[in-house]
Amino acid sequence: MITGEQKPFEEIWNMVKDFKKVLVFGCNTCVAICHAGGGKEAEILASLLRMKASEEGIAIEINHNAVERHCEPEFFQPVMEDIRTYDLILSTACGVGVNLLSENIGDIPVFPAINTEFFGAVPRAGEFTELCAGCGNCILHLTGGICPIARCSKSLLNGPCGGTNNGSCEVSPDIKCAWVLIYDRMKKLNKLDLMKEINEAKDWSKAQGPRNFKVKVLEEIKK
Amino acid sequence: MNKAVESTEEAKAPSIEKPHETPEGWEPNILAFACHYCAFAAADLAGVMRLSYSPNVKIIRLPCTGKLDQIYVLRAFEKGIDGVFVAG
Repeated sequence: MITGEQKPFEEIWNMVKDFKKVLVFGCNTCVAICHAGGGKEAEILASLLRMKASEEGIAIEINHNAVERHCEPEFFQPVMEDIRTYDLILSTACGVGVNLLSENIGDIPVFPAINTEFFGAVPRAGEFTELCAGCGNCILHLTGGICPIARCSKSLLNGPCGGTNNGSCEVSPDIKCAWVLIYDRMKKLNKLDLMKEINEAKDWSKAQGPRNFKVKVLEEIKK
Repeated sequence: MNKAVESTEEAKAPSIEKPHETPEGWEPNILAFACHYCAFAAADLAGVMRLSYSPNVKIIRLPCTGKLDQIYVLRAFEKGIDGVFVAG
C-alpha cells in the first residue's frame, strides 16, 4: 500500500489561507490505513483549519468529504459536481490521487496535504516498512525474496559492501543489512551457490517514469 | 554553544501564546466525557449523595472512554467549549 505522512500544519495553513471555500478531501484506502489522509483525518484537519482561521480572524468556509479512492475516476466522479463549487481542494490522498483529480477537475487547484512516501508493508499495526521499490525488473527469485534495491541503502546488486556491520547497515544500526539477510535466507533455502553468480548491471530504463501499461486481454476485448 | 547558534534556535522555537485577560466573573465551559462503568457511575453516586458540582460542567456519557474520538474533542473546542475533561 501507498504510505504518506501529513505535512506540517503551518505548511498546510499557508497553502489554504488565501482561499475562501476549501474542501479537505480524504481518500479512504491506503492513506487511511497509515492514519494520514482518510476521511477521519480529513475531518480532523478541516476542524483544525477552521479553528486556525477563526484564531487568525480570516473568513474561510472549510468542509470535508472523502471517497474510497482518488486513483480511479469512478470513485470521485459522483461527487464532482459538489467539489467543483470549491475554490480549493486540499487533498489528503497520495500524490497519484492529487494528480488524477487535478487532471479531471478543471480550473480548480488541488493541493496536497500529505507527503507521499513509499509503498510499503505493515508488519505491525501502525508500522510501515519499504520492502519493494517498484523498479520494474524483479530479481527476488535470485535473492531469496529479499529485495536489495529497496532494502540495501546503496541498492547493491552484488553485496554486501564494506559498511556492513554485524548484520546492520552503516547508514543506521536500525537498518538491517539486506545482503546479510539475503545470505541467511539463501543458506536456509540451501541455495548459497546462487550467491556466487554475479548479478549483471540492471536495466534501469524500466524504473524511469512516466511508466504506464495496458492489460492486453482487456485491449483485445475492446477491439 | 555560541550566541549566533543560540539566537537561531530561539527564532526556530514556536511562539508561546500570550495569556488572555480573564474578565471578572468569567466561568469556563467545561465538557466532561465520562465512562459509563466508572466515572459516570461515580458522578451518579455523587448525585445520590446530594453532592453538587459547578453548573458550567456538562457531562456526556460514553460507553467507554475508548469510544472517545479526536474529533469529539475538536468539535467541542470549535463550538466554544473552554476545556474538555475525560474520565474513565
